[in-house]
Amino acid sequence: MNKTISRRQFLKGGALGLLGAAGFAALGQNVLKTSAAPFGLDNHDGHGGHGAMPTTVGEVDHERNGFNPSDLLTDFDYGEVSTLENGQTLREYRITSVNKSIEVVPGIEYPAWTYNGRIPGPTIRCTEGDRIRIHFTNGSSHPHTMHFHGVHPAEMDGVPSTGPGVIQPGGHFTYEFDAEPFGLHLYHCHAFPLARHIAKGLYGAFIIDPKNGRPPADREFVMVMSGFDVDFDDANDFYAVNAIPFHYDKHPIQIHVGEKVRLYLVNILEFDLINSFHLHANFFNYYPTGTSLQPSEFTDNIMQTQAQRGILEFSYRYPGLYMFHAHNTEFAELGWTGNFEVLP
Amino acid sequence: MSDQALTNKKTRAINLTTAVLLVLPLVALGFVIALFIRTGGGLHLEAPVPVEALTIERTILKPGSIDIVVRNASPQALTIAQVVINNAVWPFTADPATTIPRLSKGVVHLEYPWVHGEAYAATLFTSNAIPFNVEIPVAFTTPQPTTSTFLSLTLIGVYVGVIPVYLGLVWFPVLRKLGRRWMTFLMAVTAGLLVFLGLDTLAEALELANAVPSPLQGIGLVGIGAVATFFLLDAISRRQAAQERSEAEQRLSLAYMIATGIGLHNLGEGLAIGAAYNVGEIALGTFLVVGFIIQNITEGLAIIAPLLRDRPSIRQLALLGLVGGAPAIVGAWIGGFAPSPTLAVLFLAIGTGAVFEVVYEIAKLIQKDTNRQPMPMTVFSGVLAGMLMLWVTGLLIK
Repeated sequence: MNKTISRRQFLKGGALGLLGAAGFAALGQNVLKTSAAPFGLDNHDGHGGHGAMPTTVGEVDHERNGFNPSDLLTDFDYGEVSTLENGQTLREYRITSVNKSIEVVPGIEYPAWTYNGRIPGPTIRCTEGDRIRIHFTNGSSHPHTMHFHGVHPAEMDGVPSTGPGVIQPGGHFTYEFDAEPFGLHLYHCHAFPLARHIAKGLYGAFIIDPKNGRPPADREFVMVMSGFDVDFDDANDFYAVNAIPFHYDKHPIQIHVGEKVRLYLVNILEFDLINSFHLHANFFNYYPTGTSLQPSEFTDNIMQTQAQRGILEFSYRYPGLYMFHAHNTEFAELGWTGNFEVLP
Repeated sequence: MSDQALTNKKTRAINLTTAVLLVLPLVALGFVIALFIRTGGGLHLEAPVPVEALTIERTILKPGSIDIVVRNASPQALTIAQVVINNAVWPFTADPATTIPRLSKGVVHLEYPWVHGEAYAATLFTSNAIPFNVEIPVAFTTPQPTTSTFLSLTLIGVYVGVIPVYLGLVWFPVLRKLGRRWMTFLMAVTAGLLVFLGLDTLAEALELANAVPSPLQGIGLVGIGAVATFFLLDAISRRQAAQERSEAEQRLSLAYMIATGIGLHNLGEGLAIGAAYNVGEIALGTFLVVGFIIQNITEGLAIIAPLLRDRPSIRQLALLGLVGGAPAIVGAWIGGFAPSPTLAVLFLAIGTGAVFEVVYEIAKLIQKDTNRQPMPMTVFSGVLAGMLMLWVTGLLIK
């Protein structure tokens, strides 16, 4: 959000025009010179409301939205599994793009574009070397594609200029490739105008596990960071992980003391240059893009630009309520804030 | 007898025909509207998103809270879904409800730890995701109607309205010694002053009309207020003239009309000052008050100009000064405690009409003088001098 107040301009007469009447357009210039405190008014601040915290008023209708961010956390789609003649594991996924009105904050419906009616789209999970078949149907009224991050032939890249190009409304295409390299990736629509197609909700996480898996974890969560530009001025009005602002703030994620938590974190935020993740009262091992089994950093705050992603691993030593949020505090106060509730 | 009956019958017949002819287009109109609403008249008028308009009437800052007073200027009801202030989604309550019927008022209440002297920008999102921006350029506790703020506003009104007008009246004994030509000159000066004030008031009214909720048609209100006042005062003056009173009495009533016109103008000034005070905009510098006193002293001059040939009592003069100056106080109160752009536009429009009508009255009076003895250059230089006086003293304020 970029809302600037030109105080100077106001003092030069902006609001006075509004308040209007003879001879007052220049009063403000005088305010600049003298104190801002007029005739016998107390100077005290407006403190007193310090207890209040940023949040939305009310609760979105998850049922009508068709998804609940609390469930999306652990909703990994392994596809329909079979084995090919050459012994390779085949995973097939059916994904349909649909126009859908989603209540992103209580009381405000956003005319979203979705994969399978949810934001983010299904978390596609497979193992390195698997054969992946994505049966994509465009059930919306706009041309779309599915562009996967990973290694694959040009015609499977899901961009307008190669292979099938954009898939027209009612059209169908099967994207097929081998899953590589292992790591945490993502997919999104690559039809143009790109920013709008992504911002409207066409994105999801794409996890390729290493052949021998990662070391065991007690809990695995997926979080996709994004925002919503509800008034279409190409600036986000609300921010969130897994689409609904303040959801995990209102509904903390419950874990236990000592449990090893693995968090798959993807940033697909449009319009803003960076996003970040800060964990309270704890540190985590960070695996950028998840392509190495060795952590690159032990920290409590990481930064991601659009399409950057990484895996976080941590466990809590003390019970209690711990915040996690973007340390772009503006995003945090506009919805990208949640809580872990650590139980004994 | 039969003749009369015939006439009656004829009249009644005409009345019946007239009535039918009168009503027929209205019935047809109703039919067309009903048809249009039912069929859309072949036009596709469904908007993709409802048109919404929300007028921010004022903000009230109290320690730890901000109230935003809004009026729904949309063609239909509107619901405020979420509020963002300085880039934070903030919990809010709405009084009486988040859904505001057309043209109704609502108050959005935020418990927010604002800081004195800082700037705030809020966005009210309606359920259709239409954002409405609210700006608080300088935050400070909104004056509440307490004795001390009441006194402050009164004092402002006294400085800006009452004192200068009375100071102008003090010239009365000296000006009485002037010859006829000089008196006519002074009348012309008054006319010039008033033309300037009238234009100023009209410009303010038109500017402020933009802040009026669109269904209330600010510009239309200006027209109605100005024209109605002009013709009302004109009618009053003609009725008085028809009562064959002495010329001295007529001149006195003209002085009252001038005082009324100037009073209404000062009411507008008071409204602006009060409203500015309300948003912490105004730290009325000494320099500025001085500027107002100098500019408004000419208003006192204008009030006494028609009376120079007469001997009004001190009481009359005091009353004239009060009529001309005191409305500034009332204006400051209204502007300070209950600012409303709609009300301000109405007052300013009334002021415009009043001032121009008074110019018309003065012109008639000057006409009488110049009929006896033509003095075109006196009138020309007087009017010009009057306008220049306000322009030059205005340099001190603007």
